[in-house]
Amino acid sequence: MFQNPEIDLDTLPGVDQLEWQGLHPAFKARLRANFAIVLAIVAVAISIPTILAGLPVLVAVSLWSALALVVAALMGWPAIAVPRRGYVVRDKDIVFRSGVLWRSVTAIPFNRIQHVETSSDPLDRKFDLATLQLFTAGGSGGDLKIDGLGKDVAEQLRAYILKKVGASIESA
Amino acid sequence: MKAPEIGSWHRTSPFAILFFIGRILRLITKNAWQSLAPLFALLVAYQGDLVSKITLAGSAFAIVVTAASILSYWFFRFQLLDDSILIRQGVIKKKQLDIKFERIQGINTQQNIVYRYLGLVTVTFDTAGSADSEGNLPAVTEAFAKSLRSQISVGGHSEDSEEADEAIPSAPLVHLDWRDMIRIGLADRRALLIFAVAGPLFERFEENAERAIADTVAMAAGYGLEIDTGNGIWIGIAAVLILIVLLLLLSIGAAFLRFHDFQLFLDRRTLRSHGGLLTRHEYSMDLSKIQTLRLQQGIVQRWLGRFRMTARQAISGGREGKKKVFDIPVVTATLADQLRPQLLGPEGGALTQDPRSDVFAPVSPYYMRSRILFMGVLPALVVTLVIWPELGASSLAFLLWIPAVAALAYQNWRRAGYLHDDNELVRRSGLLGYRTVGLLFRKIQRVSITQSRYQRGKNLASLRMYMASGSVRVPYIDYATAQQLRDYILYKVESSDKTWH
Repeated sequence: MFQNPEIDLDTLPGVDQLEWQGLHPAFKARLRANFAIVLAIVAVAISIPTILAGLPVLVAVSLWSALALVVAALMGWPAIAVPRRGYVVRDKDIVFRSGVLWRSVTAIPFNRIQHVETSSDPLDRKFDLATLQLFTAGGSGGDLKIDGLGKDVAEQLRAYILKKVGASIESA
Repeated sequence: MKAPEIGSWHRTSPFAILFFIGRILRLITKNAWQSLAPLFALLVAYQGDLVSKITLAGSAFAIVVTAASILSYWFFRFQLLDDSILIRQGVIKKKQLDIKFERIQGINTQQNIVYRYLGLVTVTFDTAGSADSEGNLPAVTEAFAKSLRSQISVGGHSEDSEEADEAIPSAPLVHLDWRDMIRIGLADRRALLIFAVAGPLFERFEENAERAIADTVAMAAGYGLEIDTGNGIWIGIAAVLILIVLLLLLSIGAAFLRFHDFQLFLDRRTLRSHGGLLTRHEYSMDLSKIQTLRLQQGIVQRWLGRFRMTARQAISGGREGKKKVFDIPVVTATLADQLRPQLLGPEGGALTQDPRSDVFAPVSPYYMRSRILFMGVLPALVVTLVIWPELGASSLAFLLWIPAVAALAYQNWRRAGYLHDDNELVRRSGLLGYRTVGLLFRKIQRVSITQSRYQRGKNLASLRMYMASGSVRVPYIDYATAQQLRDYILYKVESSDKTWH
């Protein structure tokens, strides 16, 4: 029989009192390692003219102190940003939050997921991490990337989401 | 050409060579230098006068293109199966396309002037796949295109096709006449550019051109002609005016070419349009494929009281995916609101998309603040400070940037707004013109709420709804409202028994 019950908006499940799952603790170290590589390249790029061309002291000092500031900021950043990221897997969707200054919470219903991908670059593998990417329809804006998951967690999530996606296709 | 039977390979009509010539020429214009390099080499190597060089180059070019087109035609074959169409093509690199009927979002046809006399059309299959896997069937008969269309729109059940043919309604939903062509021509962005260029041209004209004209007059006087400066200026103004009129005529002419006798039909659940003066374009889109419905109005269109309405399909082809748009070039707001229930129905279409309507809820005025701060105050201060040592007090002029940005931000805020009911949401935005975007909650792919530090302090948030056709953002609304909308959207997505595509 056709039923059309009225929905009380206050009883709809919200995402505000959720227990957020944090990312893998090694992710901070992985981010720092990534920054360190970039900074090392920048340091080499600065030291070549400092040594060879003999930059004026003032210029060299300001360059190096600027670099020191950037190093401090980038090395400190993961400790602030990583705890702010997290995800929750619910029965019907997955919710991901991120951002320090601009905070965002994104929810993807399982029945909108087109495919799931896990990947890990060499640095990820060094720290035993993986990235989970969820694709929905609609081109570039259509995917959600959760990086810094433990490799086993990413695999578990992938399997669970695929099962859920399959179930939602069958029921449709 | 006879109607192709199921399960055997067919060639299209030899007139398809025209299609391939067009395609090759387009390819050459895209990669002009690479493709023409051998020809240039030949041209340089050949010893002779310029005329014969050009004649040789021209004929070599024509021969190569024609030969390539004939070969392309010869190697182009297709096969119709129960649930898909196979296309085999390619001279050197063979390619086989297997287009499943269920993946086809729409069947569009084009008919150039030669094909029209011969009763042929070029069919393009609009698929959900990537852009380069899109299929074309050049130069097939109109009857075949029609049977293909009915076969595909009813999900491959060919026995229903005759019923579908009968169901074609006689009265179009929209029928554009010559006045609409003029409106399209005037509202064309390129026409707007002409106005923009012409404005300052008039101002400058008086300062700079006066001297040039005086010189011309003096010169003319030297030859015994008598023109006074007053007349000279008028001649100049007339020349500019004629130029503007010519460009506008060009733009209106383009509108006639593209949309002449434009008609929009709703055939069961398929939207269909055709129009065009020389080449007739026919587009179709299944209503269920519509992701968002847009109503846009530029400055000129505002002045004319008209809108452009577009229905957007899912973007296909990954990151660089192209937008698929079904275009209704001119509508009034009333007509647009009449069309909505037909396009978004049965569950949607009750709301208005007329931007002048006062039912739109405003967004928070704090929306202006961040724009003024980040796009106005900060850049203006930085530029002023940087330039100060060079220019001194006159660098203060850069501070005028702030009120300009503030005015724009205010205008932008006034235009911003949204309204929703249980099934759909309409967002309004704009700066000089207006744009409203309508969407059904159940078609949303994912939803996110973003808050800046400042928004957190004011308990505001921006809600972004990702559709398969792109995202729609409602900025600076009450945080609680955003959360409630988000939770409701997730509920709608989960509880709907219809698919989003």
